[in-house]
Amino acid sequence: MARRTFGQHNLGTVIGFEFTRTIKRRGFVIATLAIPVIIGIVFLLIYVSNSTSAANANAQRNASIRFTYTDASGIIPDQMAALIGGSKAQDPQAALNNVKEGRSEAYFAYPANPAKEPVKVYGIDKGIFENGKYEAVAKQLLERAAQARIDAPQLAAAMSGGVKFESEAFKDGRVSGGIGSVIPPLLFLVIFYISIILLSGQMLNSTLEEKENRVTEMILTTLNPTTLIVGKIVSLFLVGLVQMAVFLTPFALGYAFFRDRVALPNVDFSSLTFDAGRMVVGGLLLLGGFTLFTGTLVAIGAIMPTAKEAGTVFGPLMALIFIPFYAVSLIISDPSALIVQVFTYFPLSAPVTAMLRNGFGTLNPVEAVIVIAELFITGALVLRLAVHFFRYGSIEYGRKLSIAGTFRRRESAGR
Amino acid sequence: MTSSDEASEPLVHIKNFKMDFGDKTVIRDLSFDVRAGETFGFLGSNGSGKTTTLRALLGIHRPTGGVLHIGGRNFEPRDGSRLGYLPEERGLYKKEKVLDVMVYFGRLKGLAKTHARAWSLNYLERVGLTDKAAVRLDKLSSGQQQKIQLGVTIMNNPELLILDEPTKGFDPVNRRLLMDIIEENKEAGATVIMVTHQMEEVERLCDRVILLKDGVSRAYGTVEEVQEQFGGTTYRVAYKGTLPRSRLYDLIHEGNGHAELSPRPGADEATVLEELVRAGVAVRSFTTARVSLDEIFVQVYGEQHEIAEV
Repeated sequence: MARRTFGQHNLGTVIGFEFTRTIKRRGFVIATLAIPVIIGIVFLLIYVSNSTSAANANAQRNASIRFTYTDASGIIPDQMAALIGGSKAQDPQAALNNVKEGRSEAYFAYPANPAKEPVKVYGIDKGIFENGKYEAVAKQLLERAAQARIDAPQLAAAMSGGVKFESEAFKDGRVSGGIGSVIPPLLFLVIFYISIILLSGQMLNSTLEEKENRVTEMILTTLNPTTLIVGKIVSLFLVGLVQMAVFLTPFALGYAFFRDRVALPNVDFSSLTFDAGRMVVGGLLLLGGFTLFTGTLVAIGAIMPTAKEAGTVFGPLMALIFIPFYAVSLIISDPSALIVQVFTYFPLSAPVTAMLRNGFGTLNPVEAVIVIAELFITGALVLRLAVHFFRYGSIEYGRKLSIAGTFRRRESAGR
Repeated sequence: MTSSDEASEPLVHIKNFKMDFGDKTVIRDLSFDVRAGETFGFLGSNGSGKTTTLRALLGIHRPTGGVLHIGGRNFEPRDGSRLGYLPEERGLYKKEKVLDVMVYFGRLKGLAKTHARAWSLNYLERVGLTDKAAVRLDKLSSGQQQKIQLGVTIMNNPELLILDEPTKGFDPVNRRLLMDIIEENKEAGATVIMVTHQMEEVERLCDRVILLKDGVSRAYGTVEEVQEQFGGTTYRVAYKGTLPRSRLYDLIHEGNGHAELSPRPGADEATVLEELVRAGVAVRSFTTARVSLDEIFVQVYGEQHEIAEV
């Protein structure tokens, strides 16, 4: 008979079954595909809008307005104003009345000292977006007049803020990466958030399903519960990868082919610095944090009789991964602060806090080792507890598990 | 788990088993063996601890005390490839398709995927569910789901088949199908432990039985031994007149001209009949019968029902 040997390794079977049935589920397919479809529709709308906006901008650029102006400062040359459709008014009140009564398109009142007083701009209402052109023209005229008076392009550029700056900071005698070195390790934090947000509900429900379907006894007499739970976690992780790939696809396509049209920022990847040490620490913090949260969610699922009751514990637990952001400025600027230290070492807030500090370079190697060790050790312990609760709790169909009760019964002499 | 040919050692050995849930003692002190190749009836009223005993035997519950061995050691899930267990609480992955679930459990029990698939299709054909292979379990009727669960239980040709109330939810036709399948497994050498309230099935299928009450064994042995223990032979009499009190028999029950008598030691059919005739009773018929398990069950558990009613 085609039968395998005892002690067979069923992990692959569990992963295959759990992964396949999850991604084949209609609700999952719809929910997963809905995101890229929505993103695609948003991109399409942006694409169409940007095309229209570009056409409008061109039209505005080429269009000229007729305006009057008064200049108490004496900066504006009359000829320059005349070139762009301006004519000098003698009576400010009359010029304003002309605009109010529709006889003049716009009127600009330049004060004696534009550095201290505002330039007043009046125009006929042509809609929110069209009205902006009055101020643009008034500003353009003032800048051109100022440049003409300075008569030095460098000074004019400095005045108008059109100067580029390049900064370098040094650490340990070498140029530090700046923001380019912060982004790569923080990607682990992004992955952590996405995976927890996408998968936490499924993690919570994964063991509840055995309980609610009364399939626990069949499973426990066929399969080691550790194998079942590890198989479920691995399959959920794979499901999460599939979801992330599906979600990122429209971004990748948009970036590759329609970057200019959908207003995606032109990222210069060459400015990113990949610090091997921080990347390794980030990866380990991600794995440790994922293990800890997964184990905790599975344990909750094993204790609670239904998904509804499990949800009451689920909310506060999820809040713990967002709480460190209340202290994010301290985490970045003063890592030795008491609250930051508490968040760094309290297991359920440790992953986010440590990943943030690792990203900003304030997590020293000793702290990193302690937090990583803590996450893996508590993660393993919680997973063992989750298996224990599933082992002795999932048989409590429809009842909340007595945690103490699972430990109270002593092993029999024969066991 | 040992193979069935090692018949000298009991396949299942339970000794001084004790089980508490909090302050409540469910099993006080239970000991029995199940021999390899036999069909064993595990009897008792609702709440008497049968399912608890099976769960402890299979490692689902931790026992408070005692030894529960299968094949000389504690059961481990890796032995599941030689076990077929139909639990009292039925259930499979309801949102999955029938064939997918059967193949999954087949693989967990050590079958190759192709073998599990082929076996499942054959089984579905046998039980008339061929057209349901690609249907979700929750779309099947309760009886159809039971059949699928039974298939999952036996698909690995188990050496030890543990059935907790197997006929629950089956109509008479499907009950017969179930009994046929149990008998086939028995003939193939499987050891069967069966929890049931269907006493005629026990009398027909079981080699030995145990009766559990209040967490202890009330009777244990072959069906004949248990019958003997609870009165053995009885005499069923149809008569006219008044039955006399006698040192030769006890009156089990009487009414409407019919009575059932239990002979005391030393009495036999001839002496009892002679006693009745001498007392002027007009005997219309006089037959010998064994006490049925059904009657024994009522005799044992009736007491507690009566107490409960009072």
